[in-house]
Amino acid sequence: MRKAFRPGIMVLLATLASWTFASPARAQEAEALRRELEQMRKQVEALSERLRRLEAQPPPAAPVAAPTPAAGAQPQSVAMQAPTPTPGAPSSAPSVMDLVRPRQPFALYQQRGAGQLLFDMGITGDFIGNVTQRNVDKAGAGTFRGRENRFFPREVELNLFGQIDPYARGEVRIESGEEARGQETGVSLAEAHLTLLTLPFNTQLKIGQMRARYGWSNQLHDEAMPWPDRPGVYRYFFGEEGLSEKGFEATWVPGLPFYLEVLGGLFNGDNETAFGRGRISEPLVTGRVRAFFDLTDEHALQIGASVVSGLTSERQRHTLPGFDVRYKYRPDGWLHPLLTLGGEGIWSLRRREVTRDVVVSEDPLETLAVGNHRTFTRFGWYTYAELQPFRRWAGGVRYDYTELPDRGREWALEPYVSFRPSEFLRFRAGYKLTERSQDNGFSANGASARHVDELFFQATFVLGAHPAHPF
Amino acid sequence: MQSRRLVSVAVALALVASGASGAERVRVVTTIPDLKSLTEAVGGDLVDVESLTRGTQNLHEAEVRPSMMLKLRRADLLIENGLDLDRWVDVAVQGANNGTIIRGAPGRIEISRDVPLLEVPSARVDRSMGDVHPLGNPHFSLDPGLAPVITQNIVDGLVRVAPPHRATFERNRQAFLARLDGEMAKWTKTMEPLRGAKVAVFHPVYIYFLTRFGLVQIGALEDRPGIPPSPAHVARLIQLMKQEKVKALLVEPWNDRKLAERVAQEAGAKALVMATAVGAVKGADTYIATIEYNIRTLAEALR
Repeated sequence: MRKAFRPGIMVLLATLASWTFASPARAQEAEALRRELEQMRKQVEALSERLRRLEAQPPPAAPVAAPTPAAGAQPQSVAMQAPTPTPGAPSSAPSVMDLVRPRQPFALYQQRGAGQLLFDMGITGDFIGNVTQRNVDKAGAGTFRGRENRFFPREVELNLFGQIDPYARGEVRIESGEEARGQETGVSLAEAHLTLLTLPFNTQLKIGQMRARYGWSNQLHDEAMPWPDRPGVYRYFFGEEGLSEKGFEATWVPGLPFYLEVLGGLFNGDNETAFGRGRISEPLVTGRVRAFFDLTDEHALQIGASVVSGLTSERQRHTLPGFDVRYKYRPDGWLHPLLTLGGEGIWSLRRREVTRDVVVSEDPLETLAVGNHRTFTRFGWYTYAELQPFRRWAGGVRYDYTELPDRGREWALEPYVSFRPSEFLRFRAGYKLTERSQDNGFSANGASARHVDELFFQATFVLGAHPAHPF
Repeated sequence: MQSRRLVSVAVALALVASGASGAERVRVVTTIPDLKSLTEAVGGDLVDVESLTRGTQNLHEAEVRPSMMLKLRRADLLIENGLDLDRWVDVAVQGANNGTIIRGAPGRIEISRDVPLLEVPSARVDRSMGDVHPLGNPHFSLDPGLAPVITQNIVDGLVRVAPPHRATFERNRQAFLARLDGEMAKWTKTMEPLRGAKVAVFHPVYIYFLTRFGLVQIGALEDRPGIPPSPAHVARLIQLMKQEKVKALLVEPWNDRKLAERVAQEAGAKALVMATAVGAVKGADTYIATIEYNIRTLAEALR
């Protein structure tokens, strides 16, 4: 039994002895490892410090040159991609004074090619062809008055727009177009305005000559409208060009859960058809409220209410309240809306002198004439639907109804179809049937135009940049 | 009583209008969903991020809606892709009445800074070449190898509006890149056997992605970018695909799927719907999931 234990005891003793002698060696090894780790930690810290210093340096003046695209290039680990960091300019929470003061400019990141212009430039061309009956031509009472049965440049426009400085944006549009048969094509200033973008409390101010933001379609230039011609209610209440004025427009977007824009404007009131007083001292005043609702990702609705009030050249008040609605259905993943519905209605409340009384005073040499005034109310509206099942093709129909400013009323139905080979080129054809309740104002040269059939052809192009239009 | 109620409603509206929400998170708006996903990764709990577009939309042709303006009205920072992909955002910014994010302001950054660009035209370009990008191909966010540059730009942008949180943003970025690095190793391994494989595309969206993983784009179905193909061009492409033994035609979710499938079938290839951005296809809910989807789809088809 003792013999059996003896080898085991020997092994145990040998193991203990080896542990006892090995301990100093292990301790030395651990110490060496600790030193190595410490050294590595210091290296990491030094590298981190170097990285921090590099990050604090300003960015290179020129952008990084683009590598030649090489199919089959070696894939890299994401960690291998070394970004070129730039320190951000620290900003602090704005005080009231900061809000009032214009904000400081900051370096632009945008990459641009050499020799670039500091603003965008584009040209749009809009040509119209009109075919109608001979009596309408003779009476000069078609949609494009004085240009019946003609093909003509309605609007060729040079657009210049861009950032003026860090605080303001500018836009200038110079246009030309045929206004009457045989007349020389003149050049005029369509719009020229600046918008102050950095005003406090989410406000903006637009100053200059502009298409007033009244209703929905008034803001659109002729070539941007979804139809060949401007709706009848605008043509009769504001003239063929719509409401374009010189003055100021301020907007405010409050922080509500939905988009709401509140707008107020002061203008000269130069529009001859509706106003004509033409003095900023007796201004034309505009107001508009616009709300937008994303019903779902596919359905969107915009509603608006507008008003414009000013004096006519006879110093009589003319007020035009109106409303507009627009709906779009754009199926998920589609590049264009499938269905667009819209409409606008405008009332015209115009003071006019109806009779004039002669008052005889006590002085026989003095007689006084006193005008009797009445407010005439007219209403006009239009609605339209457009279907675009294919990217290049769209078709729609518009219905117009307008009580004419003097007497009578007019309605019109206008189906049309548009073809867009690309984003910058569009052809459109349409037919318009117009019925008027009487011929007052539509008779001339022994002809009258109570019933009008018209065919329209439209060709529109955009060369270069073009400012985008609202929803 | 009624006047008191009116006063309380007015006060409540004024509070909402003044934006007194009490929240201290940085409100970030991005133009495209890829940048939203990457900003969320970098910003973590310190940011609220919204994208102006969805992955299912063609990012070139987003319709500017006033709801975009509403998002921008509240934004502290606007992150845009740049290279003319999202120029439409200028219109939305103009309608947002928020001076903090106008071009050149501290609250606006363009993410293409320092990105090594591909397909930069070396000659004069005009519209006869289609919807060409004169500054280079703008779809660089589909290359995961460029995420370090993009996220660095995001960090710089966030630091501009929230300087005290720089360290957190940096830490989040490093954590995200470490995770992406792990995925990248897997993706590289998956794509390694397919190096040099040839593909055709509907529209040149995937060039950065293909270049990263060593695939060769031999042609596009669109005659020129944005211009639908003519029958002659379709015939030429089919011929080329046959010659080059192309196995895949890469399609965006909104492209003409019927045309793509017909061309692919005639050329003996497959039409593959690829994700063009986060959320473009089912399952591509995050940036990493989007790249993963594209890798998986392509690898399965080319194997």
